Amino acid sequence: MSRGNRIALACIYWAFVLYVFVPLILMILMGFKDSKFIGFPIRSWTLDWYTRIFSDAEVIQTFVYSVIISVLSTLISVAVGIWIAVLLEGRKFWGRAFIFGMMVLPALVPGIISAIAFRIYARWLEIEPGMGAIIWSHAVHNVPFVSLVVMARLSTLPKSQIEAARDLGADPLIAFLRITLPYLVPAILGASVFCLLLSFDDFVRSFFLGGYEPTLPVLIFAMLRSGMSPEINAISTVALVLTAAIGIWAERFTRKAKKGLT
Amino acid sequence: MSNEASASNAPDGLAKTEGERLFWGRLANWGPYQTLMSVVTLSPRRQFFILATFPILWLLTQHLGPMLQMLRVSLLDAYPIAPDVAQEFSLESYFKFFGDRIFWMPLFRTLIFAAVFTLSTLLITYPVAYFLARHVSRKNQMLMLLILLIPFWVGEIVRTYAIMILLGNTGALNLALKWLGLIDRPIPFMYTSFSMGLGIVYLTALYMLLPLYSALEKLPKSYNEAAADLGAGAWTRFRRVTLPLTIEGISSGCTLVFLISTGFYATPVLLGGPSTTVFAETIAGFFHVAGDEWPTGAAFAVIMFMVALLITGVFQRLMKSLRKGDSS
Repeated sequence: MSRGNRIALACIYWAFVLYVFVPLILMILMGFKDSKFIGFPIRSWTLDWYTRIFSDAEVIQTFVYSVIISVLSTLISVAVGIWIAVLLEGRKFWGRAFIFGMMVLPALVPGIISAIAFRIYARWLEIEPGMGAIIWSHAVHNVPFVSLVVMARLSTLPKSQIEAARDLGADPLIAFLRITLPYLVPAILGASVFCLLLSFDDFVRSFFLGGYEPTLPVLIFAMLRSGMSPEINAISTVALVLTAAIGIWAERFTRKAKKGLT
Repeated sequence: MSNEASASNAPDGLAKTEGERLFWGRLANWGPYQTLMSVVTLSPRRQFFILATFPILWLLTQHLGPMLQMLRVSLLDAYPIAPDVAQEFSLESYFKFFGDRIFWMPLFRTLIFAAVFTLSTLLITYPVAYFLARHVSRKNQMLMLLILLIPFWVGEIVRTYAIMILLGNTGALNLALKWLGLIDRPIPFMYTSFSMGLGIVYLTALYMLLPLYSALEKLPKSYNEAAADLGAGAWTRFRRVTLPLTIEGISSGCTLVFLISTGFYATPVLLGGPSTTVFAETIAGFFHVAGDEWPTGAAFAVIMFMVALLITGVFQRLMKSLRKGDSS
């Protein structure tokens, strides 16, 4: 391929990097502006907005609420997702395609439809809108991501290892707990972090299934509807730094774990 | 056995494996556990039954259940059902959709928007994926892909807000244009289909980039070299070799992005205006008010899902036939 082509493609790549980073960088900068008005140019800087949100009980409470929801929903998604993956991977049985289809369904349903389907179902089951309903909807929505990641990892597990364990007298459950599960650790970790982030960032399900107490994205949305303020930038920046840090850490950790275990 | 060999060098490791082994041994020899396992593992059939029951129940009640209940509610004449009134099935909610322009227009608009945004995402991310997969060394590939992933870990609302700051009347883009002397007065980017499109492409780009990247990465470089040896120019090589062989990636990326784009609610609310009302906002409207509008909302959601599935189904068929036609 010619040099000119290569340079043009490199330019497109870096332009794309700018496209995905610049809005976030601008948003972070705006959180340090010493004025209530959102807009450029920024003439003087301050940390006031950060001290304000860290002393705001509602923000802290919302943050804790969101973290609890994402941790609990992730635990459910991971447990169920692994179970489904173990059933589906490497087994042939009648109706497998249908079960696989049902497994991926929540990941394919557009956000608004998924949210209102959960809302209607929660009402039918008489689950009140609130924390339980949000946790449940996040858990169900995230199961396919766990199952797909775990299935991909499971397909690379040498069958001989399980057979060896069985020959040495391990029953299926112990073989699973001592051979399969440790082998799956990197996939489980990666999937868990992905679920945590999906749940923490989710807006539409939290919005339709929430009670009076908002999750962090719902709070930011509500604040935005009543006008932009640097306070929102500060909250968003904290959320951004946290999610990006967890994402990067997980990426590095899973890569290391994969190298160590295979 | 390799465990023991490595453990002999490290006394801590030995203690740990020893403790672990004791635990598993004790569990395996524990009476109740043995009874349980002998019941469970009696036959392969029973083992499978025990393994399969919970996942199948979960999938039926949690994954399929909400969709079926939504379908059921969409066919009721009122929901929630009043205590003394018999519930009746009716198609009224579906007729309502076709009866009024303010209902079907947003769906039409949503589908057009989603198609345009999907195509834009494809055109933007294809060169990026191509560059990463073909022109970057293996070692740098992961790093350069990882750089792109970072913004996508940030949530929908935060990224939408970032776009608002970029495009506002006193936003960075208007400031930059003014500074360059291109404009005197700020251009109202916000609350238009442009701001909405930029926001939605920002949210969905990753879902396109990853399938494209994995399709391009799998493609052996030798194919292109062979085509070059046979005298094909750069454009011909791309059109006749690379493009047909990455159609699967394009097809799955477009399907995913199209379905996701139709479902955004917060982004159109925050970035769009009155002229860009999407169907998600129409559907949501029925759930803000008291319960008796739920059947209509449910019916509209069913209509949107069916239409979106139909479009992606036809699209995938088309892509498949395109691929077959090219290879023959």
